[in-house]
Amino acid sequence: MKPSRRNLLALGGGAMAGVVFTPLPWKLLDDTAIWTQNWPWIPQPARGPVEVKAAACSLCPHGCGLQVRMAAGFPVGVSGAPAHPVSGGALCPLAFGAHQLNWHPRRLHEVRRRGRAASWDAASMALRAAAAEGPVAVIDGRPGRGASAILRDFAGKSGAYITAPGPEERSLAPYAAWSGVPASALGYDLESARTIISFGAPLLDGWGTPGRFTRLWSTHAAGLGDPELRLIQIEPGLSHTATLAWRWVPARPGSDAALAAGLARVLVEERLVPAKGPVPATSVADAAGAAGLPADAIVELARMIAQRAPALAISVDGEPAVAALNLLLGGGIVQRRETAAPQAAAIAPRAVVIDATVPWEYEPASGAEVFRFAAWDGGGSKADWLLPAPGFLEEITEHPSAPGSAVASYALSPALMDAPADVRGAAAFVGGTPADAVLARCQEIFRARNGGLYRRGAKDAVPLASLESAARLQDELLAGAVWVDDPAGSRKVRCELKEWPAAAAGTHRGGWADAWSAPVLPPLATKLYQESNLREVPARSRI
Amino acid sequence: MPRTLLAFAIGFGAALAAGWGAFPRVLYQKKVQPIEFRHKTHAAKSGTSACGDCHALRDDGGFGGIPATASCAGCHGEPMGATKAEAALVNDYVKPHRETPWLVYARQPANVRFSHAIHTRLAGLKCAECHGAQGETDAVKPYEVNRISGYSRDIWGRSMSRLRRAPHEGMKMTDCEDCHRKRGVEAGCLGCHQ
Repeated sequence: MKPSRRNLLALGGGAMAGVVFTPLPWKLLDDTAIWTQNWPWIPQPARGPVEVKAAACSLCPHGCGLQVRMAAGFPVGVSGAPAHPVSGGALCPLAFGAHQLNWHPRRLHEVRRRGRAASWDAASMALRAAAAEGPVAVIDGRPGRGASAILRDFAGKSGAYITAPGPEERSLAPYAAWSGVPASALGYDLESARTIISFGAPLLDGWGTPGRFTRLWSTHAAGLGDPELRLIQIEPGLSHTATLAWRWVPARPGSDAALAAGLARVLVEERLVPAKGPVPATSVADAAGAAGLPADAIVELARMIAQRAPALAISVDGEPAVAALNLLLGGGIVQRRETAAPQAAAIAPRAVVIDATVPWEYEPASGAEVFRFAAWDGGGSKADWLLPAPGFLEEITEHPSAPGSAVASYALSPALMDAPADVRGAAAFVGGTPADAVLARCQEIFRARNGGLYRRGAKDAVPLASLESAARLQDELLAGAVWVDDPAGSRKVRCELKEWPAAAAGTHRGGWADAWSAPVLPPLATKLYQESNLREVPARSRI
Repeated sequence: MPRTLLAFAIGFGAALAAGWGAFPRVLYQKKVQPIEFRHKTHAAKSGTSACGDCHALRDDGGFGGIPATASCAGCHGEPMGATKAEAALVNDYVKPHRETPWLVYARQPANVRFSHAIHTRLAGLKCAECHGAQGETDAVKPYEVNRISGYSRDIWGRSMSRLRRAPHEGMKMTDCEDCHRKRGVEAGCLGCHQ
């Protein structure tokens, strides 16, 4: 009996049908998926003893406390450090995966000059040659570090030391102009406020230190009909923050200055606040017209603001009229007790050195030769030189006071993994010794003997005066302690405002160094992430 | 027509036999542990029956896992008998201070974080609920490694169909999820994957 073609087809069909009723295809699918996770070129953490080390996040200037889980000496997990005096245990979702960034495909491993491989020697010679021809500007994203002193000294000889302000610091620019105190030393006293009027500042969605306002809000406002802390969000769209705010005021785009002036007018005319300083010329009707709101709504809003003092007004973009409204309400702006970065005079530099702490989007709009330090290539850079810097926790990292914080602080992160062979920080590149600068900063704090040290996990601070030396302070900081100044050390800022400010004019330092838009998030935060619901919004389930 | 049906049935039957019979044998490779170990004997001689006496949680809540060779040295500094296994333990591991390369049945991928402390102390789970009654076994079972994924067969479970499994069989993510769902405990993605 010879099998026919039809018989063979039936045999094959039967086998095909039969195999579906076995585990074979389904198990193969599962195992193949797991197999793809274990390809030899995929980095795998080593197996070994597990320990948890303390550190702080360096992805943005806020320096949130981290607990880094290490396996066989390698970081394999990151979580928030509970009771951390700066972040209170909160982290943005990006920080949870920060330990993986050092293996990012866009990690910079070599010096590049206009897209082509170059050497450190060539970069060094180019900087020396440029410095000989004209002034050099140095841009620092995190002033207040020991490394910042090195950069400032380097720039000070012939150029300019410039700080790149983030969104929180730029929102403080009007107060800096009116008080003479650099914005980098100013902060918001959020903790004392009982009403916060936010003109578009995404307080619950990535503005400020993660955990600072969100913890306040979750404790004093979330889910309460008449909260102890009232958040009034003024912005055209129903953002995350607007959704969760006590009141959302949908004002027209670009009407912040007019609305702030209208509110100030009502506050003064109805004597809802002690009359002090200039009164805006804008009438309530004009403000209502500009904001697209009924005049009655503005009057009611002003009364609402005055009802629960102290009130604090925050502008997302440093709108001077909002700052003037805030002064009328009583301020809530403090100067931290620390040495502020000096204001640099506007110069036309021959070269610009950009530290790795400066957000990737910072592009100086000048014709200078740009030396850009970064651990990762964020793409589309116009920098002439891309210089690979140490990545996440690959070197001892300093964490000065977070922008907008009310109290000075300082923390250190130890180097938890080895940096690639050919990376350098800007401070070392310009001839400084970062380790000495860190110790010098510790000595500065130790000599002042202010504030206290929050050891890892401790809720109470140990007085700084109880430590025997600056070296001991450095050791404590490297072990996870955080130095925090005494809140009494910060003092309320006195601003002199002679006339009501015109809308968004005359508050920035001016020049090319300010002409950029700083992102809230670090360079590798994708658009998908930024628009997702992954950002921390506590007590979401209670809404 | 009957011959076509017969051919279909033969193909169907052969596929069932291959899928249920041959496939698991090909997929899993049996390996023996580097040395013999008897939980029952050790429990009886040491007078302990609690898993945590040997597989202890550290002070920081971390899981100590399989005891280090140094723990064996207390009794096995010199051979306690003339068996090959005893000689291998003493000469290959205890005296040279080498750790025994145990094949771990419950080993999970590197992207999984599991806290024994939370599950045993907070949730009050017994070790046997996930690992089976290992403490009562007279010999360690062979380790079956999945040739494709590289993990132990215990992760999938003995049953290829995953139907009618004993409660302690299987340590896949779906097993974790099922248990959490049953107990009404939310862990979220970051609870296990960090």
